[in-house]
Amino acid sequence: MQLQDIAKVIRSKNAGPRCTTLDIMFNDDADYQRVKQGGAIDAALIARLYDTPEQDVKIIDYPMARALKIAIPRKVTAGDPGDRDVYGAQQHSRLFEVEV
Amino acid sequence: MSAPGRPKREFPLGGNGAQRPGGHMSATRRILDAFSQPGGRRPLRLLGASGQLGYGIPTPAFQAGLDRQPDLIGCDMGSIDIGPYYLGSGNMATARESTKRDLRKVLTAARRLDIPLVIGSAGSAGAAPHLQQTLELVREIAREQKLSFRLAWIPGDIPKDVVIEAIRAGGLTGIDGMPELAEADVENCANLVGQMGMTAFRRAFEAGVDVLIAGRACDTAIFSTLPVMLGFPVGLSVHMAKIIECASICCLPGGRDSILATLDDEGFTLESMAPQRRATPISVAAHSLYEQNDPYVIIEPEGRAELHNARYEQVDERRTRVSGATWVEAAEQTIKIEGSTRVGERAVLLCGAADPRFIERHEQILRDVSVVVRDLVCEDAEEDYQLYWRVYGMNGVTDRQPGDAVPAEVFLLIECIAPTTARASEVMRTMKQYLLHFGYEGRLSTGGNLAFAFTPPEVSVGTAYKFGVYHIMRTARMDELFPVTIEEL
Repeated sequence: MQLQDIAKVIRSKNAGPRCTTLDIMFNDDADYQRVKQGGAIDAALIARLYDTPEQDVKIIDYPMARALKIAIPRKVTAGDPGDRDVYGAQQHSRLFEVEV
Repeated sequence: MSAPGRPKREFPLGGNGAQRPGGHMSATRRILDAFSQPGGRRPLRLLGASGQLGYGIPTPAFQAGLDRQPDLIGCDMGSIDIGPYYLGSGNMATARESTKRDLRKVLTAARRLDIPLVIGSAGSAGAAPHLQQTLELVREIAREQKLSFRLAWIPGDIPKDVVIEAIRAGGLTGIDGMPELAEADVENCANLVGQMGMTAFRRAFEAGVDVLIAGRACDTAIFSTLPVMLGFPVGLSVHMAKIIECASICCLPGGRDSILATLDDEGFTLESMAPQRRATPISVAAHSLYEQNDPYVIIEPEGRAELHNARYEQVDERRTRVSGATWVEAAEQTIKIEGSTRVGERAVLLCGAADPRFIERHEQILRDVSVVVRDLVCEDAEEDYQLYWRVYGMNGVTDRQPGDAVPAEVFLLIECIAPTTARASEVMRTMKQYLLHFGYEGRLSTGGNLAFAFTPPEVSVGTAYKFGVYHIMRTARMDELFPVTIEEL
């Protein structure tokens, strides 16, 4: 099963101009636990998908909202010359097809 | 910061602002006095009118909020998320007319109810020109609507010498890997602001005000300052403020409609003023994820709210009660500072292509043409510009992944940043002509490589900026920052 088949929300957004955050939320505890315990979403995966060093990937469990919060550094500060996504709102879709 | 042409007085004022000239007590003084009476404490109702004042405040929900007799109306007006342009240029992100409409709506309502109106991060980025434009609108509305009130304003600008001193004292820390600052980086900022917190707002409230317009500010301070002054727990006040500053975004479905929070000593209850929006425990808890890199902590100049023990409980279908946030006072106050630096003048070329041979070879073609352009425009001048291209359909937004399909059409956004508008335009026009007619290997279509939706396809789009400063500052001169000015309208 792919993440997009089970998640309620998969989104990205800046948290400040130097950081992209990715949120994955689930409909219920069962789905949330299933994905968490499956272990597919870890720093190594995010590092590979986003071409970023593994030690720079932060993943926080947030069970209150049945969510995983991922933070990675932006390669280009938001709005700097050469930026492609000032708000960071379109960096999420490569999570869609992650097998969970 | 100055507001030319208007009489103003520096805080503190004689009389502590208790009485307005007409014998009227200021809105903040009134509620502070009421709560200080024996038996005067009661739950506090705060109306989050808008998370982005100037983009429209839906009237039905706002009106429903007013019908609930709130004790304060608050609106956030800005953010760093919109990028460095607005901070650098001094321009507002919102249109003047819609900004004025929103301001009129909240001003007339707050004066009618005689409650404080609090607006933070004035004019999108909260620097002097933004605050000035916002104040001009407020004065204009006061004249047109014949409103009389006690206005306080607080500039969010940080004097450059304060930052330079902080650099020398080792008091500056880059956020999320921002590089160390040289003094020249500070000097080069077009505008430099700091996010003021509850301490600055409190000074204004103590002076007695009806309306407070703050420059760059923590969005939380808009809503948390008054309850903290009234003795409500700081952690709860900050947690509540962080949620309602975004209006009904925390609801299901999320939206921009006004939201009401009712705060007591044990927790707060959230209710959207739009009937279709439900504040559910999950939707409210999920809001802590939004634009935050840690959903468990809200960091303020004065300390941090910790949400590890926060509880979200359903009251009914549309309301959720929140409790459990705690507050950890900082040993020393710090200020988040933001500076925007001019990079140059920007021109762009907008064009498309639908030739599979061009699309297949576009990377090489663009590189080759940029060399041709450089050789031409630098024949008698320095290579003083930067050239960027984004090929939508290929990698305009994200890097290509293995297996991505090759599109039938692409859109090219080509950008030049140069010292002057004329230079950027020269580079862009040359790029247009040589890219249009570049004879790449394998080319069949000798009529032209590009499709233009209109001409001219190259446009000057103004000054380009970048964030030069995004740091945490410790300073011994904290007390000098964010002075309050009172103005009677």
